[in-house]
Amino acid sequence: MNKKAIAGLVGAMLGAAVVAAPAHAQDVKLGLMAAISGPIAALAPPMAAASKLAVAHVNEQGGILKGGKLEAVLGDSACNPQNATDVATKAVNIDRVLAVVGPACSGAVLASANSVTIPAGVLMITPSGTSPEITKLKDKDLVYRTLPSDDYQGRALARTLKARGISKVAVAYLNNDYGKGLAESFKAEFEANGGTLAGYSGHEEGKASYRSELATLARGGADTLVIFDYGDGTGLSILRQALENNFFKTFVGADGMKSEGLVKAIGAANLGGFFVSAPVGEASASLDNFNKAYKAAGENIDAVFATTSYDAAFLAALAIEKAGGDKAKLAESLRAVASAPGEPILAGEWAKAKKLIAEGKDIDYKGAGGDHEFDAAGDVPGNYAFFKVSGTGYESIADMK
Amino acid sequence: MDLLGLANYAVFMAILIGIYALLALGLNIQWGFTGLFNAGIAGFFAVGAYTSAILTSLPASGRLGGYELPLLLGWAASMVAAAAIAWPIGKICLRFRSDYLAIATIGIAEIIRLVIRTEGWLTGGVRGVTGIPRPFGELDYMPSQIAYLAIVATLVLVAYLLVERQVKAPWGRMMRAIRDNELAAAAMGKQVEARRLQAFVFGSALMGLAGALFVHFNRSVTPEAIDPMIATFLIWIMLILGGSGNNRGAILGAAVIWIIWSVSELLTDRLPTEIAVQAKYARVFIIGLTLQLVLRFRPEGILPERQPGSPPHR
Repeated sequence: MNKKAIAGLVGAMLGAAVVAAPAHAQDVKLGLMAAISGPIAALAPPMAAASKLAVAHVNEQGGILKGGKLEAVLGDSACNPQNATDVATKAVNIDRVLAVVGPACSGAVLASANSVTIPAGVLMITPSGTSPEITKLKDKDLVYRTLPSDDYQGRALARTLKARGISKVAVAYLNNDYGKGLAESFKAEFEANGGTLAGYSGHEEGKASYRSELATLARGGADTLVIFDYGDGTGLSILRQALENNFFKTFVGADGMKSEGLVKAIGAANLGGFFVSAPVGEASASLDNFNKAYKAAGENIDAVFATTSYDAAFLAALAIEKAGGDKAKLAESLRAVASAPGEPILAGEWAKAKKLIAEGKDIDYKGAGGDHEFDAAGDVPGNYAFFKVSGTGYESIADMK
Repeated sequence: MDLLGLANYAVFMAILIGIYALLALGLNIQWGFTGLFNAGIAGFFAVGAYTSAILTSLPASGRLGGYELPLLLGWAASMVAAAAIAWPIGKICLRFRSDYLAIATIGIAEIIRLVIRTEGWLTGGVRGVTGIPRPFGELDYMPSQIAYLAIVATLVLVAYLLVERQVKAPWGRMMRAIRDNELAAAAMGKQVEARRLQAFVFGSALMGLAGALFVHFNRSVTPEAIDPMIATFLIWIMLILGGSGNNRGAILGAAVIWIIWSVSELLTDRLPTEIAVQAKYARVFIIGLTLQLVLRFRPEGILPERQPGSPPHR
């Protein structure tokens, strides 16, 4: 093969791509940047199916803008920045999408937002990137997500404890990304709200005794121990040893501690002072709508990130409709359609939303995966509740703000 | 579809091709000229990437960094750091023969990746490093991309000219002699181990520079970028396809593979949506098939090695 042949081949491929790309003035394109190949490949098909369901709802119920169709362009971001920036560049420049849903992995979100979508002024809504770094992007208000940052739970837990009148705690965390991440965000928020940490220490997994660590933590004089660990692992040993030695009176855990095995092992009678925070899927009419439609499409409703993928695509479509297809107004429009006040719109109610937008009325999308009230950084609060032990399981006692 | 969009896409592809070309040039020094089977490219890429990221990024709590040093210093440091990591590794591993060296380097790249993932105080752990400056990043989308392409293209050109110069010099002939017949070269009084170490360190420094260019382009780096598939094996395919032992071949291979990889997705997008998800895997298949075809019909690569004074025989 000589250089001419190579140049010819490249030219032919580019040419074929150009010819193949259809151009229709009324139609609007939405980029779906799923991680089809790569480490989370198994999660990608249900996520893509959920986003496509949202696109189908739009097209079945009157289409987008003035009789146009919303077209989904599926790209493979492969969970790495190399492929994610490539697929974002194609979506933005070749397919001329107005908004993208994805990418799935946080590193891919950071890279493609920084180098492609933010400079190009394209709206990005990720359904599964949870890294707190995404909050810090200088994004010209163009990057959003439909699920809470990892940072959120620790902070919400800190606020809940303060609100319940607990202002002095000791923290024991498992020394890995989960435990440490939660402990750091908890510490920052708790201290910012005037709480005191009487002890703060990480521990390694799988030791036989944690009594010396617990004794050190208890010396600070707090009655409450916050444990960021797993209730089926080291967290169980810590809780048991703290109870046996009467080091603390109240114990609080995050979602990792919400284990039924733990209740069985220690006994509900001994766990009167044990509370956990955990995410709750909001059992809303919107979620029912989504589940029904998603099941009818032949998918499994328990798929991870399916609701957030649907909501991301639906919100992008609402924003495009509200902005009248004007790229410069997308961010503002997204905030308008997603936030209260306004007429509530549930998952699948495209025709109603379209009518209200046409009449110039304010709407508020209540998604299948949550209300999606975006904060200044484009993050959403999660739905977490505070649980106590009841019988052999847990019972929710309060919503967490 | 408009020409501006197409141009933007072409510029973006050219930037990534440039970065991969640097990696392929580095590997060419190691494998093409010296016969060192380095299967740990991702490790050196990562060291360069994180070194420059840490030195030039904005301050952040919980990890090292925030020195906000000038870019050029960060890039120089990324080459030095990659070379400094390569030196002890080479010192220990280059005594192994080729296949053992491959296994040792895979292991080392994996160690580097795990250290980056878990040592949060140094690298930000799984969250990675953000707030990395990009030269001309404050310009609009297209001018900013073109400016970055100019930087990458200049560095690739400089690297190409320097490597080409070195390979044409007596040093290059000596390296080929060591590669083709180690015993004969040793018998001629050449210091085989020291020379191989030189090639290993030089090649790794170029890989480090490629890592730095990559993170400044994306203004962020996370451990996902140093996956061995995309940062080691893809570069091997590029070099073998382009022609190992030929610097132009290395650059051409980077271009051909990246273009096939990227443009083929535009074509698979035109397939019916029912098979769109499966079609994504066709791209991986096309890359593999291309490699098989090249190995079967043109094992010396598209541009084979040129040996001055004798007809090409490899």
